[in-house]
Amino acid sequence: MSAHPALPPGAVEGPASGFNRHVGPIYNLPDAEDGALKRFAFAVAEKHMNAAGSVHGGMLMGFMDVAMSRSARAVSGAPRCSTVSLSCDFAGPGRLGDLIEAQVRVVRATRTMVFLVGELRAGGRVLLTANGLWKIAGMKAGT
Amino acid sequence: MTAPEGFSETRLVDPFEVFMGPVYERIEDGGRRFALLVDGRHVNGRGILHGGMLMTFADCVLGAKAWDLTNNSACVTLNMQSQFLKPAVAGDLVEVRPELVRRTRALLFLRGDFTVKGETVFTASSVWKLLGKD
Repeated sequence: MSAHPALPPGAVEGPASGFNRHVGPIYNLPDAEDGALKRFAFAVAEKHMNAAGSVHGGMLMGFMDVAMSRSARAVSGAPRCSTVSLSCDFAGPGRLGDLIEAQVRVVRATRTMVFLVGELRAGGRVLLTANGLWKIAGMKAGT
Repeated sequence: MTAPEGFSETRLVDPFEVFMGPVYERIEDGGRRFALLVDGRHVNGRGILHGGMLMTFADCVLGAKAWDLTNNSACVTLNMQSQFLKPAVAGDLVEVRPELVRRTRALLFLRGDFTVKGETVFTASSVWKLLGKD
């Protein structure tokens, strides 16, 4: 699949199997703000749409889930993590051809939990805002 | 793909739902009970049902409930809150019977408990806006 023309330099496709491979490609973008802002992107294709001509809410939430999971692993160094809760507000529709970017911030990371906030944007528009709580696992004792 | 016993295939119209489906349904106490048979397209690298797939299934079936309640009026998701209680894996049948919590003139408050073999693995609550209603 050819890359989206608007993909910024440094975009790299993340690990892809199962769901991520089926709905993707989902790209990792370079961090911003000295690593405080984690960034990801996907390009909207026909397969992501609903019948009303907007990006399906499930795809937007799924993309945010992937973005927050990768962010939780990146900050914790944990090999595995799992979503405990995710709340999403749908602020505006995504459109066919949009390059949708996820921007995620870690609010707090404890030994076992990561608290995150994030939003999805296309151009200057906010499509979705989210709060997430992740459980991290697989850390060695004492680390 | 064959439907699980007692279920028939749900008619899906959104391209993304067709791409991720099929979804199955059966009538129970006058409402639809839905089911998703988890396969390799729905899981993460560890073989566990992906949160994104659960939320997609939830948006799909809570949206179907919104349609059933409004005689197929146009409506959009404003918010969805999801809690992930227990992992599910490929081969599991995830079932849900969406519930109406409250209906106002412009909004629908819906929720669902998603179960595998009778045990709740996921819950979702969502708020829907009926388009054109103040």
